[in-house]
Amino acid sequence: MQKLVRAGFGSNNVDTCARVCRSPTGYGLKTTFGTSAGTQDFDSVMDSDVILVIGANPTDAHPVFASRMKRRLRQGAKLIVIDPRRIDLVRSPHIEAAHHLPLRPGTNVAVLTAMAHVIVTEGLADEEFVRERCDWDEFSDWARFVGDERHSPEFLEDVTGVPAQIVRDAARLFATGGNGAIYYGLGVTEHSQGSSTVMAIANLAMATGNIGRRGVGVNPLRGQNNVQGACDMGSFPHELSGYRHISDGDTRALFERDWGVALDPEPGLRIPNMLDAAVDGSFRAIYIQGEDILQSDPDTKHVAAGLEAMDCVIVHDLFLNETANYAHVFLPGSTFLEKDGTFTNAERRIQPVRKVMEPANGMQDWEVTQALANAMGLGWDYGHPAEIMDEVARLTPTFAGVSFERLEKEGSLQWPVNEAFPDGAPIMHVDGFVRGKGHFVVTDYVPTDEKTGPRFPLLLTTGRILSQYNVGAQTRRTANSVWHEEDVLEMHPVDAENRGLKTGDWVRLASRKGETTLRTEVTDRVAPGVVYTTFHHPETQANVVTTDYSDWATNCPEYKVTAVQVTPSNGPSDWQEDYAQQAALSRRIEAAEPAE
Amino acid sequence: MDVAKLTMMANQIAKNLAVMGEDEAIAATADHIRQFWDPRMKAAILGGDRSGLEPVAAAAVDALG
Repeated sequence: MQKLVRAGFGSNNVDTCARVCRSPTGYGLKTTFGTSAGTQDFDSVMDSDVILVIGANPTDAHPVFASRMKRRLRQGAKLIVIDPRRIDLVRSPHIEAAHHLPLRPGTNVAVLTAMAHVIVTEGLADEEFVRERCDWDEFSDWARFVGDERHSPEFLEDVTGVPAQIVRDAARLFATGGNGAIYYGLGVTEHSQGSSTVMAIANLAMATGNIGRRGVGVNPLRGQNNVQGACDMGSFPHELSGYRHISDGDTRALFERDWGVALDPEPGLRIPNMLDAAVDGSFRAIYIQGEDILQSDPDTKHVAAGLEAMDCVIVHDLFLNETANYAHVFLPGSTFLEKDGTFTNAERRIQPVRKVMEPANGMQDWEVTQALANAMGLGWDYGHPAEIMDEVARLTPTFAGVSFERLEKEGSLQWPVNEAFPDGAPIMHVDGFVRGKGHFVVTDYVPTDEKTGPRFPLLLTTGRILSQYNVGAQTRRTANSVWHEEDVLEMHPVDAENRGLKTGDWVRLASRKGETTLRTEVTDRVAPGVVYTTFHHPETQANVVTTDYSDWATNCPEYKVTAVQVTPSNGPSDWQEDYAQQAALSRRIEAAEPAE
Repeated sequence: MDVAKLTMMANQIAKNLAVMGEDEAIAATADHIRQFWDPRMKAAILGGDRSGLEPVAAAAVDALG
């Protein structure tokens, strides 16, 4: 895809679904450690003594890894949960968190800074590790900053909503409890300070010496099987494969020689910027493969306006998804059973995918992309994805030792695989950080511009559940919908009583951006003042309500904080009615004409 | 491009880097825009109404030009 866009379209306007979930991880970990990936393998958790889970709900969103984490917790590892909701991990059979920090949505940086304050001012930092592995002057600046009284748990209690004593106890446990590992999810990244939070997490791990061995580390829980792989392969507009900036002349020259074209040294547009430029009239066409941006991206009306403004929208997907309602051309995709290739997961493990049946549409996804490239005159002649991997290895130092032949022989490989790590690297930064010295970044808490007020007094945060997957394009078509046939709005009993609502009532959920209707569920899983829903169903379209506020560094949308009001409702919103009509019209199939 | 939105983005970058101190924050904000903004975004903020830019962001945009 990146080659098609950079070499074929002649621009760097290529982006990935990680824009709306993981881009702050890429930015934050590259800045602090030197590479955009988690530091551990999955097995590492079995050596953890303290597990800190922040902004993640592993039992619902990462159930396979969660079962391993729970096994370690049952063996006696201690658990700290930082989350606005009382997720299942806080208390479930045989498992109970030592500390649950039910913070106000949007205050991750403040909570982590308060924990750092305790660690620094109580002398709990691992000075030996920091002196050996990190830049001491930068650490000193950071320690001075977090050590300031205005960052104490007591001072920040009004901001975060978390009682100071719980923050102090959690910080002490993390710093002194043995191997400390941090696992995080989109409750970290999908905020206006997503990148700052990732860097604050990295600071905490470095300050406590929890990097570079089993049982510790910074572990983003990836939401999809191959989102790591997509990011590795240069799918961000500013980066070529291996996370090298497009402005780097030496790297660009390497690709230019291999591809035989000149590349633009300027970064391209990110997905939200593409939609802005489309409305503006300067971005005219898009090729979307395997992503349903209409339902997944924030501010649905703006996404629809952007797609409607384009001259050519090509959707390449397994299903006629919601975005396909706006497509001029639809290219049928192939399932994982119908194609050869690789998936790279959250532990950087490159795994072969083998075709077991011919694609029903006649072509594997990479063949469709190649056909498109050749229709534009690019003259590609790949005969098998193994040849594409050879090109990746030739152009990407962290993949230099990867080939399909090796993957077939060894089963899988964890990058980097090169001269320095001939057999890959299950744990990163063992003898030193990729960037040299670990980089402490001072992360100041900057409140989001999305504010509650008299018109919108509640904070909406969104997430997903076990039985549906992301926008549900795949799982809504299965019997899983028996368990979750509609999105519901979780609301605390106090907020429900104030509005005269009970479980099962239809409610109107409105923000400054839009409104939708759905049923409510009254529960104390959420705190007073906070409401929660999922985004699995297009009939609800939770993203009609979310705003275009985003992470300051990466434009990752701020899905987790939207000021809303909830009132009783007796029917669908105007948007829901309009959308249902538009979807029905766009999905009509013209009757076949009888043969002569 | 919507200059008001770009102004909001530039101000947000500057606000998050302000902790570095004014001179460093100006340089870092300009560098961030250079590294991550598409040319049409840079051109739009350079050529648009800059009255909504806060001081650090305004100085960073000046530095781009």
